[in-house]
Amino acid sequence: MSQKDRETANVGAGLWKGAGMWAWLFHRVSGVVLALYLFAHIWVISRGAATGAEGFNTMFETLESPLFIVLDLFLLAAVVYHGLNGIRVLLFDLGVAIRRQKTLFWAVIAASVVIMAVFAYISLSFIASHGA
Amino acid sequence: MRQGVIEESAGGMWLWLLQRVTAVVLILGLSAHIVVTHVLNLGELSYDNVAGRLAMPFFVVVDFALLGAGIFHALNGLRMVLLDYGFSGRSQTMLSWGLFAFGVAAFGYGTWALWPWLTA
Repeated sequence: MSQKDRETANVGAGLWKGAGMWAWLFHRVSGVVLALYLFAHIWVISRGAATGAEGFNTMFETLESPLFIVLDLFLLAAVVYHGLNGIRVLLFDLGVAIRRQKTLFWAVIAASVVIMAVFAYISLSFIASHGA
Repeated sequence: MRQGVIEESAGGMWLWLLQRVTAVVLILGLSAHIVVTHVLNLGELSYDNVAGRLAMPFFVVVDFALLGAGIFHALNGLRMVLLDYGFSGRSQTMLSWGLFAFGVAAFGYGTWALWPWLTA
């Protein structure tokens, strides 16, 4: 693919400027993070399951520590953004709301912030009630 | 459908369509997974807790749908990223088959991990 073709493809993927560029870039970065996490997740659960019930439960005690819960919140932020912006991209593919792509980007950000606020509250309450 | 959507996608119509289909499966399945596993069962996660869910066919279907759709969506997504950085022709074919083999292996490994619960 030539440089020019690549630029054209990028324009098609995310309108290569302003809000559209950031939407595309965040989608790509969160996508790579989530792809790598998925295989780490399959690996960790498999290793845990292979150790039997006792080993699996010991592993979960570690995964429910404050450090891992906070890491989970960052992971969830990537999931929520990628999912909501994915819906935005699906709409564009269907030919819907392309001219409102900037408004939709801010709607994606706003919805992500609200969802993350709820999960942050749940997580921090859990940490507080279980002690550090 | 917006004109040119399929023409612009590297890998043709079927991979493009599957990426969209798995996206919808993941939005629904992952929402259920996160809410049920990490909110409704908050602090309760254990071997027996997982066993309780996997005794229900619904959650077996959700888990396998997430495993399959997740692996496909992740690897095809990585493939699309890599195609923007110079893979073409023969190296593109090798990349695609390499990722396909990795995906099949990961699905087998994930199934093997679920096996003790499914056969309990």
